[in-house]
Amino acid sequence: MTAPRDGAPQPAPLGALRAAVPTAPCRSGGPGVVAVALSGDQMETAVHALALSGGARLADLFALPAGDGLEAGGPELALHLVYALDHDQTYCRLEAPVTGPEYARLSDAAPAAFVEECEIYEQWGIRPAGDKHLNRIFLSPLAAAPLRTAAPVTRRARPGPGEVRAPHVVQGEAFEFPVGPVRGVAQESLYLGLVTTGEELLDAFLAFFHKHRGVEQQLRGRSPDGALFLVERTEGPGAVGNGLAFARAVEAATGMVPPVAAEATRLVALELERLYNHAAATAALCQATGLGVGQAQAEILLEECLRLNAAAFGHRYLFNVVAVGGVRRGCDAAELRRRLPVLCGELRRVSGALLATNSHVDRLEAAGVLSEAAARRLGLVGPVARASGLDLDTRRDHPTGPGPAGRLLVPTRSTGDVLGRLQVMLAEIDETERLITDWLAADAVLPAVAVAVAPVPGSEPGTGVREGLGWAESSRGESLAFVRLGPDGRVVAARQRPAAARNWRAFDDALRSRNVFTDVAIIEASFWLTVAGYAR
Amino acid sequence: MTRLLTPSPSDPAVAPTADQLRAQVGRLFGRSLYIRTVDTGSCAACESEIRLLAAPHYDLHRLGFFFTPAPRHADLLMVTGPGTTGMAHALRATHAAMPDPKVVVAVGACALGGVYRQADDLTHGGVTGLLPVDVLIPGCPPSPLALLQGLLVAVGRLAERIEPARFRIEGAEAP
Repeated sequence: MTAPRDGAPQPAPLGALRAAVPTAPCRSGGPGVVAVALSGDQMETAVHALALSGGARLADLFALPAGDGLEAGGPELALHLVYALDHDQTYCRLEAPVTGPEYARLSDAAPAAFVEECEIYEQWGIRPAGDKHLNRIFLSPLAAAPLRTAAPVTRRARPGPGEVRAPHVVQGEAFEFPVGPVRGVAQESLYLGLVTTGEELLDAFLAFFHKHRGVEQQLRGRSPDGALFLVERTEGPGAVGNGLAFARAVEAATGMVPPVAAEATRLVALELERLYNHAAATAALCQATGLGVGQAQAEILLEECLRLNAAAFGHRYLFNVVAVGGVRRGCDAAELRRRLPVLCGELRRVSGALLATNSHVDRLEAAGVLSEAAARRLGLVGPVARASGLDLDTRRDHPTGPGPAGRLLVPTRSTGDVLGRLQVMLAEIDETERLITDWLAADAVLPAVAVAVAPVPGSEPGTGVREGLGWAESSRGESLAFVRLGPDGRVVAARQRPAAARNWRAFDDALRSRNVFTDVAIIEASFWLTVAGYAR
Repeated sequence: MTRLLTPSPSDPAVAPTADQLRAQVGRLFGRSLYIRTVDTGSCAACESEIRLLAAPHYDLHRLGFFFTPAPRHADLLMVTGPGTTGMAHALRATHAAMPDPKVVVAVGACALGGVYRQADDLTHGGVTGLLPVDVLIPGCPPSPLALLQGLLVAVGRLAERIEPARFRIEGAEAP
């Protein structure tokens, strides 16, 4: 889709945006993306207009140096807001410069922006106007504030951290039960401060900064291929989803069009990633409810999924499959045809047995409830959002290439509890099998060891700065990536927004919904997020 | 339909390593060697592979290994991730809480310094700069079979430290 021209029919949220800020220039930001440049004082108006229009979901907010970020002498910052217009198959990217140490507070109109407002403060030292307290996201209490930034920006006057952090208060009969950061065996590091009076969970403080590696800063200066290597290792069990989003961002920036067979091949990898993640979540749920037999059966199937990945693509976690402009490896279709139906049949048999086990299901019902309103307010994605009744799926709403546009079944539930999330994941396994079988039947995928990468148009030096937005529906939900390439084709700035970065913000809400201590592990398994994807 | 839910007990890929491990751990540790894991910023793939060690295909418990959440019970520390500065203190505290003799196993390319190559203000670029590491298990992530082979090496290292400190019955002749 290109930018709407005057006189052409416009999607409703875009129409509302144009009416609110008629002078803002609007252009195409690549296929399926509209980019709007705002002035600093137009930003608040635009956010309010989009919030009132309905149909616009705030998918991401981040700050980067303004302009191309290359000129010497102090780049100012610009805020980037990415709105998903899901009914219109469009992403709308707003960019507005920030000149002082403060910008208009966005989280009043768009509550989903709050976590990113805190993150932007830690990265760049600018904060939303007003005296709202910010939370600690990536910055360890032991680290100096803020993090690595472009030198001119750090000269900015900013309030000290003590004045802006939300107070960490536990009062009355309640006490804080600390769990982590070193947690159970082979669990990711995470601090969970569970506030309780004994059994019922009243509140929770989560700290993610222990695992913060600064991946986005590390991407600067790398070639797109070198950056993709690190992007895949940001969140291992989401390597294909996040890698595909990043590769598509670079493709949008450079105008590369991957060959059709290569696109189909990487979509097969994406579905295989969904399959093994859902099997892993099923195993983790059984472990959390203490159902040993179910756990063992699900773990056998998880191992078989990983072995199928290795047989089809050469890597158990499907690293190094996606390449910028195509795929680095083809797929062993014969092996997939032979093993996939057996595997999916067994998964169905095990999940049927689990859903018929009352002692298991009773623990999942009404645990960790998230209402549809909360899911919408916090901008959740993936199975967590779908189990709360939000009918979102990037594969259907923002189709790219030869995807399953128009005929993808998106399972949803309205209960918003752990059982709903499990049911959504299990229903997605059927859809995954159908999609892979269709692509294999149509001989749409590349054979093993084939490498297909699109030629790079306009890659000669001196083509200027290029920007692109990419997305993919990973097993945890919508994964977004934004990339800015310099004239030499290297990454000048990049933003990754894995689905985990979106959905963790609802975890404490789910914990607070009348749960007891032993529900924490169950709720965590049903979200099936990684700390690595959040604390990137 | 083929049934997958009955993994062969003698998987030809796993069996030789598993048999050696079983013999070593049985002889030296009375089938009771405890492992603690710490994640210092991994991508969660290494964690997934370590968890699968206890799953039916590999079933580490039958070899005499057990995972423990308590560092005071642990003989072996598996560390994943590039050693983030946020986890440095927790990692050192966990290591200090383990009784001697102990071994440290660095798991995966991040921990070995292959992904985040240079130390900066957020990571140490690997765990070798944080702790005295005895065994390095490469792989991104290392497969469960690679982990088993790494554990075999680690058990050998631990055995070298245990032999001189072996409990002796008073009055008996020194070996």
